[in-house]
Amino acid sequence: MVFRRGQKIEVFQRSSDDMWEDYMDRFIGRHGIITDPDTSINDPDALVEVSLEGMGTHRLPQDCLRLLD
Amino acid sequence: MKKTPPPHCPVDDALSRLQSAAEGNALQHPRSRRLVGQLATLVRDVAWGRAEMDHLSALDRLAAELAGFNADPHGAELGAALQAALDQHREVFESHVQTENCAAEVCDRLAPAPCQMACPAGIDVPTYVALIGEGRDAEAIEVIRRDNPFPWVCGLVCTRPCEFMCVRGRIDTPVSIKFLKAFAAERALSKGEYVNPPAAASKNRKVCVVGAGPGGMTAAYYLALKGYTVRVLEALPMAGGMMMVGIPRYRLPREVIDREVAMIEDLGVTFHFNTRFGRDVTLAQLQAEGFEAFFLAIGAHDSFRLGIEGEGDYPQVLQSIEFLKRVALGDRHMPGKRVVVIGGGNVAIDAARTCLRLGCSDVTLAYRRTRDEMPADIEEIEQAEEEDVRFNFLTVPVAVEGHDGRVTGLRCLQAELVSKPGSDRMFPVPIDGSEFVIPADAIISAIGQRVAQGSLTEIKSLGWTRRDTIHVNTATMATDVPGIFAAGDAVTGPATVVEAIGGGKRAAQAIDRFLNDIPQPNMPPVPVRRQRVAWTEVPAATKMALKRPHMPLLNMDRRRTTFQQVELGYTENMVREEARRCLRCDICRRCGRCVQVCRDKMGVDALQLGYLDFDHPGPTDFRLTQERCIACGACAENCPNDAMLIEERKGERVLHLCGTILSRQPLLFCDGCGASMGTARYRDYIRSRTKAVAPTIGRRMLCDACARKQSSMDRNIE
Repeated sequence: MVFRRGQKIEVFQRSSDDMWEDYMDRFIGRHGIITDPDTSINDPDALVEVSLEGMGTHRLPQDCLRLLD
Repeated sequence: MKKTPPPHCPVDDALSRLQSAAEGNALQHPRSRRLVGQLATLVRDVAWGRAEMDHLSALDRLAAELAGFNADPHGAELGAALQAALDQHREVFESHVQTENCAAEVCDRLAPAPCQMACPAGIDVPTYVALIGEGRDAEAIEVIRRDNPFPWVCGLVCTRPCEFMCVRGRIDTPVSIKFLKAFAAERALSKGEYVNPPAAASKNRKVCVVGAGPGGMTAAYYLALKGYTVRVLEALPMAGGMMMVGIPRYRLPREVIDREVAMIEDLGVTFHFNTRFGRDVTLAQLQAEGFEAFFLAIGAHDSFRLGIEGEGDYPQVLQSIEFLKRVALGDRHMPGKRVVVIGGGNVAIDAARTCLRLGCSDVTLAYRRTRDEMPADIEEIEQAEEEDVRFNFLTVPVAVEGHDGRVTGLRCLQAELVSKPGSDRMFPVPIDGSEFVIPADAIISAIGQRVAQGSLTEIKSLGWTRRDTIHVNTATMATDVPGIFAAGDAVTGPATVVEAIGGGKRAAQAIDRFLNDIPQPNMPPVPVRRQRVAWTEVPAATKMALKRPHMPLLNMDRRRTTFQQVELGYTENMVREEARRCLRCDICRRCGRCVQVCRDKMGVDALQLGYLDFDHPGPTDFRLTQERCIACGACAENCPNDAMLIEERKGERVLHLCGTILSRQPLLFCDGCGASMGTARYRDYIRSRTKAVAPTIGRRMLCDACARKQSSMDRNIE
C-alpha cells in the first residue's frame, strides 16, 4: 500500500513490527489522516506519520493501516 | 478486531453521579442535599478547567463530611464513593486542575481541538490562532513556546499535520496555521516582545544533550526552564542540526534559527561546537563531570548509497546531505553546469533548487516512479517546476559515465510501473532496451538518509531497531540504557522538525521524572489546553466568504539566482482575516446535538453543518441558518460546551456558534406590557402548533400573561 499525504486511514489491526508498543493497542479501530508518508524512498517498510482522531500524531508501521474509502 | 472501549474520565463520572443525585429524590436530608450541591459545583469547576488546587482539598473535606453523615445513608454512600474516586484517581483530578486538560477527551470544555491533537509538539493551535486574530501576537508566541521553542522556524518549515486535521478543511481549505505562526513570531521579535518565560531556580543537576538540532535544543530548553544545567554537544560549528545544514536558506533563513537558538542560550544552556560525542568526549568523561542524564539527538546524517556502477569513481558524484551541508556552511561553488539529482523526496528537491541558485544551467531530477508517487511536498515540487528544474520520471539510474576522472553523464533505463502479485503497490520495472544517457557534469544522490551510528558505538548496551535507529520507548523516549534518552531522526529515521521537537519535549519531561524518581507514563502525553480565549464574532456570510490567502513569492529571477527567502509571508491584513476562518474546535466539539435537536426535535433543520462528521463530511453553509432558524434556542440549550449561544441584544435575538453569527432576527414585544416575546418566526412556529387549542387574540401582539388577562376581560364583557 502506498500512502499519500492527506489520505484517510483506519488502524485496523495490531502491527507485527517491533516498533509497535502496547499503548498503541488503543489506536486500533481509530480513524485518521496520513500527515507525513515516507518522505524519501517510498519504502513499504518505512514508518509513516499518522494523525489519529482523538489520539494525536504517531509514526506507525504500514501493516496496521488501511485506506478508508 | 479488538473493540475500543468507550472513553472514561473519573472527573466526569463523579460529576454525573453528583448531578443525578442532586436532581433525584434519593437524598432525604437537607444537609446531604446541600453538601452534594456544593460538591457538584466544585467538581464542575474541575471538569470545566476553572478550578484551583484548593478545590481538591475542599472536595476532600466535603466528601468526608458527606460520607460521615449517617443520617442519610444514600448521601453517606455517595460521599464514600467520591472519597474513593478522589483517592484512586488523584492524579487525574490534579491533572484537570493543573493542565486544564482532560486526557480522555470526555470533559467537553477541556478536550484539545483536532489541530492541537495532530501537532506532534501538542501546541494549543486554536488559542494562538485566536490571539493572532486579535492582534495579540506576543501572547500567541508565549502560548506556542509552552510546547515548542521554535515558533518562527516551524512557521516556515513545519509539515503542518495540524492543517491536515483542520476541521475548516472539511468546508473548503484548512486555516493557514503555519504561516500565521511565522507572522506572529516575526512581529513579536520585531517589537521586542518575544521573551523567555522565567526559569525555575537552579537544581544544580547536569544533563548533557548530544546534538544541537531541533530535538536536542527543545529538550535543552525545557530542561533549562526546569532549572537543570544543560550542556549541548554539537559536531558542527553551529547550532541548528538539519534545520541549519539540511534545509536550504531560501526556505529557512539562518537568522531565524540563530534568533531562536539565542533565546535558548539566554536560559543558560551552553553549547560546545565542533565536539563529536564518542570521539572528542566520551560518556565516561561526561559522567565523571557529573552529568546524570543524557539525551541523544544526533539526527540521521548518513546517506544511502545508490549502489550503481561508477558511483565511487568520480568526485563529482555527491551525497545530497553532504552537498547541502557544504552550501549551508558557505560554499557557493556550483557542482557542475549540468546536474542530475537522483530521488523524489524533499531532500532531492532541495538539492535541485540549490543547484539552480548556485548557477547550474541545467538541473534534472531523475525519479524512478511518476510525479504522483513523489514523496516530496507538492508545494516544493511546484516551486521547483516554476524555477525550471526538469523532471525525468520513470527513470532508473544504472551507471555513472565519465572519463579522465570526470563525470559525463548518468546512464539510465526507462521504467514502467507494474503491480506485483499480493501487493497493491506499483513497482518501477526497467524496460529492456530503453537505455539512455542524461548528460551531466555532476550527480547528486538523494535517495534517503540513515543514522550515523559510529559515534554511539561506545554505548554497548544501546539498543538498535532493524531500521538502524535507536530503540526507545516512545512514551518516554528512554533508550535501553537507564539515564539515556533519545529522540528526533536518530529514533524515527528521517522525519520532520516538529516531530523532533515533540520528541525533545517528551524526553525533557521523562528526564525530569527520571532524575526525581517519579514513575514514567505508559503512553505519550496528551496535548495540554493552555487557555480558553474568547472568540471573535464574524457574520456567517463573512465566515463562508473568507478564503485562504495565497502566499506571495519572491520574483523568479531572484529565486533562480539568490538564496533569499522564497515565501515572503502574509501581510498583516491577510493574517488577521485568515485567523477569523478558524472554527474554534477547542470550544465546539462537533457532537452534533445542535443539529439533531433542530432537525429531529424541532423539525426546523436550520443547521447545515456537514463538517461535523470526520468520516463523511457533508455540505456546510452557515448562511442557511438565517433563512430557516426560528430562534427558539433549542440548539444552544442542548450544547454541552456553550459553543452555541443565543442572546438578546439591541432588540434582536442573535444565535452564534463560536462567534459565527448564524441568525439575527428582530424581537417582538408585547403590546400590553412590553415584554420580549421572541421572534416573529418563533411566534408563528408556536401558533402553528397551538392554534387548535389557543385562538389568537385578534391582531394584537400579546405575551401569555397579557393574552390571558385580555381573554378573561373579553369573557366578562360577553
